[in-house]
Amino acid sequence: MDRAIVRHIIRMVPSLLLFLLLGLPLVLLLLQWLSGEDKSALLSSISRETLVLVGKSLLISGIVALLATFTGTVCGFILYKLRFAFIGIYKVALLLPLLISPYIFAVAWKDGFFWLFGNNAAIYSDAGVILVHTIVFFPLAMLITGSALSQVDAGYEEAGLMLMPFRKMVVKIVLPLIRPALTISFLLILIFSLSDFSVPAFFGVRTFTTEIFTQFSALYNFPLAIGQSVLLLFICLLLMLAEARYLSDAPFFSVSVKGGVSKKYNIQKRQALFHALLWLLLIMVLLMPVFMLGIQSLSGRTLFFREAWILMRPAALQSVKLALSGTLLLTSVGLWTAYAKDRMGNRLPNVLLLLTFIVPSTVLGIALIRYYNLSAMNFIYGTTAILLLAYLGKFGFIASRIIGNGIRQIPVSLEESALVMGIPSWKIFVKINLPLLVPSLFAAFVLSFILSLGELGVTMLVYPPGMELMPVKTFTISANAPEALTSSMTLINLGVTIALIALFFVAGKWLFKRYQYA
Amino acid sequence: MWLENGCSKDINMPEIILQHITHCYGDKEVLNNFSYSFEQGGTTCLLGPSGCGKTTVLRLIAGLERPSSGVIKIDGVKVSEKGVILIPPHQRQVGFVFQDLALWPHFSVYKNIAFALKESKEANIKEKIFEWLELFGISDKARKYPHQLSGGQKQMVAIARSLVLQPKILLMDEPLANIDAHLKERILGHLKDIQRQQQFTMLYVTHDQKEAMNTGDYIVVMNAGKIAAAGSKEEVSRSSSEFVKSFLKT
Repeated sequence: MDRAIVRHIIRMVPSLLLFLLLGLPLVLLLLQWLSGEDKSALLSSISRETLVLVGKSLLISGIVALLATFTGTVCGFILYKLRFAFIGIYKVALLLPLLISPYIFAVAWKDGFFWLFGNNAAIYSDAGVILVHTIVFFPLAMLITGSALSQVDAGYEEAGLMLMPFRKMVVKIVLPLIRPALTISFLLILIFSLSDFSVPAFFGVRTFTTEIFTQFSALYNFPLAIGQSVLLLFICLLLMLAEARYLSDAPFFSVSVKGGVSKKYNIQKRQALFHALLWLLLIMVLLMPVFMLGIQSLSGRTLFFREAWILMRPAALQSVKLALSGTLLLTSVGLWTAYAKDRMGNRLPNVLLLLTFIVPSTVLGIALIRYYNLSAMNFIYGTTAILLLAYLGKFGFIASRIIGNGIRQIPVSLEESALVMGIPSWKIFVKINLPLLVPSLFAAFVLSFILSLGELGVTMLVYPPGMELMPVKTFTISANAPEALTSSMTLINLGVTIALIALFFVAGKWLFKRYQYA
Repeated sequence: MWLENGCSKDINMPEIILQHITHCYGDKEVLNNFSYSFEQGGTTCLLGPSGCGKTTVLRLIAGLERPSSGVIKIDGVKVSEKGVILIPPHQRQVGFVFQDLALWPHFSVYKNIAFALKESKEANIKEKIFEWLELFGISDKARKYPHQLSGGQKQMVAIARSLVLQPKILLMDEPLANIDAHLKERILGHLKDIQRQQQFTMLYVTHDQKEAMNTGDYIVVMNAGKIAAAGSKEEVSRSSSEFVKSFLKT
């Protein structure tokens, strides 16, 4: 056989393996739905009641997406286009909510609401879900639009400023230029809000995702749950079709953009106003939730921290260990898929990871259960391997794109010049690519770790028996335990997450200084 | 036979032949039935407007691209043929100075040059590197990293790195495009001296007609993937092609 064909086959094997592990479960879910013997389930998944629920969920998520995109774009503009003090600190602090599980904010805001207004149940409503989701997801819009804003060529803005005032130039030139970023930010937040079941479940709001979860986990109505999952899957895929190409490259998941020519504006008069605005946001999204969790933890008759710590310690240790294993897998697969896409032109693994990334957690969880819940597959289903696969499906795309954007910033000529000199390919990869990718690899590692640590949606569905994990423990215990205990556990959960982020931040500062080449 | 620049035409200097080369990037055809025999020794300048296919010619000769059709021969040996690389880049005895210089940013100047020498298991690496650095007057920069060098110094490191393995062909893709005329002249002077000593064939890509006239022994004027005129400087300046006339005038 021709050597080129053999090489091609060898190159395709990992892609095929990734498809078998993550893509096929989704395909089979679809086939199961289409070939289901119980046709009434097929029809009831698109019944009037279901469609009304879908409409309600889309409305809630649409409002969240609008509010979060607007807030995120304003923040993105302030932080990425204006020049004033402490911008770096604001950026990191405002990105934190994205790394913390949404249900932590739900608990914190419930505590805050109760503290301010007494035991008022108003927070247990659609408005409560909208508030918490907006807080959790606006940093995503900030990251995406901020990244797009910092890539707008200064020349375009300066040419515009010659013809029109600043505000008009922003509206007429800058905003149209970042339209794909605005669209993708809106769509991603819409999908993430639609997919999240922890916040609506905590506030007792019935949405399409909580309905699927209930049908699958509580009522064991598998055909209906599968039908509804497929419907949700279609909705998400349809929404993403509009900007699939932009999302596939995801330029916003990037450590830094070299050679940026973006224009930044000095502000003299309104510095105080911008600081006040950012502080207000910081209080709302970070300081207030932490403060409220603290207050509520201390409000019980007994100090619940000790009890909470005893309950949480084994779960915290197990979660950290699992997140570390997941992170190693995510970073390795991310490096391979990124290299395959950006250097070898093999887009398939990236497309697969993109697909599982935009699939709602509940749908991915159900697909994995239906696929792996066989005695022959027990070595995956009954072990932590199923969770590692779930993490890979949920966050593999993010790791892949962070590393991929790093690879794209390495000029191909650096590899070609070594190639011409007779350096073997593996040595070029190890000696040239890897050292230059250290910042991207580190960022992918940290993000994968933090996100895996807090993942609840799929984890809740697929975690093997006998395993205790921090997010699941906090979430399940909140239904029966005293509020002060729930808040104490949530605070510990938040504390562990923030401590790890701080640790990574310090390590990252050193690492970036060491490996960032101007 | 001796050329104007003092280089001799002999069997050590390979002849480079491109026969009926067509090359496409996706749907875009950049070279269209390009045939040319580059003279042994001396310097041939590939001159033409942006996007006319000059860089592609160099990349094909280096073996960094597979020709869509046609044959490339170096020193009488087929190195590439329709879609196939027969001889890999590092076995072609070619040095390449890229437009962006491609200095490895995480290696010092010394290591940038040593990396290739170590791979080829050369002896006396240190002496060789300092010999080259001294030749370009930058031996005091050995421990510096590329971002700590000036534009001219970077260019000299890139040239030294590509010459240290003593290639028979040096391919230069507008490496001196962004420096002032005085420094450019100095570097080119160095290069000519080295070429006289080391006896290699140089292909030099530029879009600047004055630079081409000053640097090249032969000129190949390209337009839209084809040769518009080729030959000695005098022959090219006498070309009857309207494109060549207007391009050389501007």
